Amino acid sequence: MNESTIFVLTFILYIVAAFFYLAFLFTRKESWAKTGSLAAIAGLVAHTAALIVRTVESGHAPFTNMYESISFLSWAFVLAFVIIDRKLKIPRIGPYLMLIVIGLMALASSPLMPKEATPLVPALQSYWLWLHVSVTLLGEAFFAVAFIACLMYLATSDPAKKERMDSVSYRCVAVGFPLFTLGGLVFGMVWAYKAWGTYWSWDPKEVWSLITWFVFALYLHTRIVMGWKGKRSAIIVILGFLAALFTYFGVNYLLAGLHSYA
Amino acid sequence: MKRFLKFFSSIKLAIVLLIILAVASILGTLIPQGRTLEEYGARYGQLAGLLMKLQLTGLYHSIWYLALLGLFAVNIIICTLERLGPKYRRAVAPRVESDPKALLAMKLKDRAKRNAPPAEAAAEVKRLLTGARYRVKEAAVGPRVHLLGRKKVLGLFGSDMVHLGLLVILAGGIIGGATSIRDNINLAEGQVKSAPKADFEIRLDKFTTEYYPDGSVKAWKSDLTVLEQKKPVLSRTVTVNHPLTYKGYSFYQTSYGFNWDNPGVEVWAKKKSDPAFLQKLKVKVGERAALDDPDKTTLAVTKFLPDFVLGENNEPVNRSNQPNNPAAFVEGSRGGTPVFSGWIFANYPDFAQMHAANDKDKEKTTDLAFELKSFDAGQFSVLEAAKDPGVPLIWLGCGLLMFGLALAFYWPTWEIKAVIEDAQGRSDIVVGGIASKNREAFAAEFETLTSALRKSK
Repeated sequence: MNESTIFVLTFILYIVAAFFYLAFLFTRKESWAKTGSLAAIAGLVAHTAALIVRTVESGHAPFTNMYESISFLSWAFVLAFVIIDRKLKIPRIGPYLMLIVIGLMALASSPLMPKEATPLVPALQSYWLWLHVSVTLLGEAFFAVAFIACLMYLATSDPAKKERMDSVSYRCVAVGFPLFTLGGLVFGMVWAYKAWGTYWSWDPKEVWSLITWFVFALYLHTRIVMGWKGKRSAIIVILGFLAALFTYFGVNYLLAGLHSYA
Repeated sequence: MKRFLKFFSSIKLAIVLLIILAVASILGTLIPQGRTLEEYGARYGQLAGLLMKLQLTGLYHSIWYLALLGLFAVNIIICTLERLGPKYRRAVAPRVESDPKALLAMKLKDRAKRNAPPAEAAAEVKRLLTGARYRVKEAAVGPRVHLLGRKKVLGLFGSDMVHLGLLVILAGGIIGGATSIRDNINLAEGQVKSAPKADFEIRLDKFTTEYYPDGSVKAWKSDLTVLEQKKPVLSRTVTVNHPLTYKGYSFYQTSYGFNWDNPGVEVWAKKKSDPAFLQKLKVKVGERAALDDPDKTTLAVTKFLPDFVLGENNEPVNRSNQPNNPAAFVEGSRGGTPVFSGWIFANYPDFAQMHAANDKDKEKTTDLAFELKSFDAGQFSVLEAAKDPGVPLIWLGCGLLMFGLALAFYWPTWEIKAVIEDAQGRSDIVVGGIASKNREAFAAEFETLTSALRKSK
């Protein structure tokens, strides 16, 4: 099977997962959520296979153009959700996350995204490409799960559910923040130093990563030191995720800079 | 002084600074940085001068942005120092005594009884805690024995480690900003240049560009040799992502270019009247070569443009330094008098046309045809030489930052306190536990320990 066939299979499995999760959302039957979770895991396995095939065929990391990058981001989203769901049992996040993932996969498959694997320009030929991009996107995926939890916090009026979503979002940030710091900032600096001779250039993507980092630092300080919880915390996480999203998409399309690869 | 300290140590200042820094940084990505006044004028009109005056056009290096970072650093230092003392005392010399009533008010608590005097019961609890890798401190106050078991005490300092890491990174940045050396070096093959402000030289032995089958660049490779007092001491191939480091300097492959000053060209001369006539001339631009014909014509290549286009007034102009449309200007002479001249093009051989200097030579001129067959400009390698003494601090700071984050999030201190009281020859044991984070795992461990306490006789 070639990569695009496995990609389509992945897409179908994610749609099936979303369908079961939505059924769970409306019927409240745990068994639907279980089936949804199985479909999501099956999709994740297929997606992993697609990424491996892509890597073998192209000979480089599967995130060097926008199509590959969005596909990898969706993979990270599902992986982060599967991990968090195993730990904290939060199937209610499932339907929303799977809908976002389907949106991303649709975007990746759209004709706007060239699919051919192009050979790597000299600057990207480094194992730091693997470390920098994969760890950063995985960190952002945990921010995405936190973001959904915060939206659900704001949407519900049930105090027990609010309490739960508040705690889930904190646990996600507790994983996402160290990952994002390591992949986005530290690995990014090390690679920039090796490739460009300077660890920090105030390139828009670097600045937006720093802004994202400031927002989550704000979240942690207001929460841990000042005891903020609930609505205000949720709003900060939402802003932080939007900053991360802008770092990922917006900077590429709206601001020119050194990171003009993908 | 107290008010001063209070201002700088307040968490509110930290939060305000985080917000201001975030907003200011956003501003810097919306206004293009480091352009000329003309560009800003075209973009912002009247506002351009004001933007430049407020240093919004070089925002990240502006006095006020640096001042914000400085204030942030002072805030971090004072906040951290203020919390460090009490934390250190808590880590090294904690209060072992606790009030049984307070223990029973904790979320995690338990009690048990023993048919033994307090000292014996305390020894049993201590063994249990030590067995689960808790470090136990003991204090006997009258008939009561107090125990304090803790693990992962280093976790207390996670946030301080993060803050220290940030300060070290800022210090590295300041040192770099004040002392770093950065310069581009253009090197042609065989050329030697001294590293900026250094006592050694580097020589480019070979420069190669490798291409993918589709024509895009795969790699630039510069074979560099470091020379100390003209003697080679180190040779290495430098590519993008693989710099050469010597005496604190790093040499990065950043770009390449063509040396168009004095390229060698190969010109083929043909005669329309004699199809068998073919002469291949290899000359450098500016040199003259003799044609093997009865008229004793000599040919000089006087100009070379890698990217020939016609300018506004139809004059030949070079558009770029890329060989998109290489063209050479040739001049023919006989007996020292110029007789014809014209442009020849590597990509468009049919466009070549020689213009006679006078009518007399017209016939002979139109018989000759020239083709620009090849050119050899010699590429030069563009390297960046950089020396930044602050860099080791940056990596140290990053290490502390990550270590601190790991401690803060995943190495929370766990504390189990116990009070063993005498109850007419028997012992009453009260236990309580606290963890700042990862409470589920701690609760599970607490349950295992206390159930062991309840079970054993």
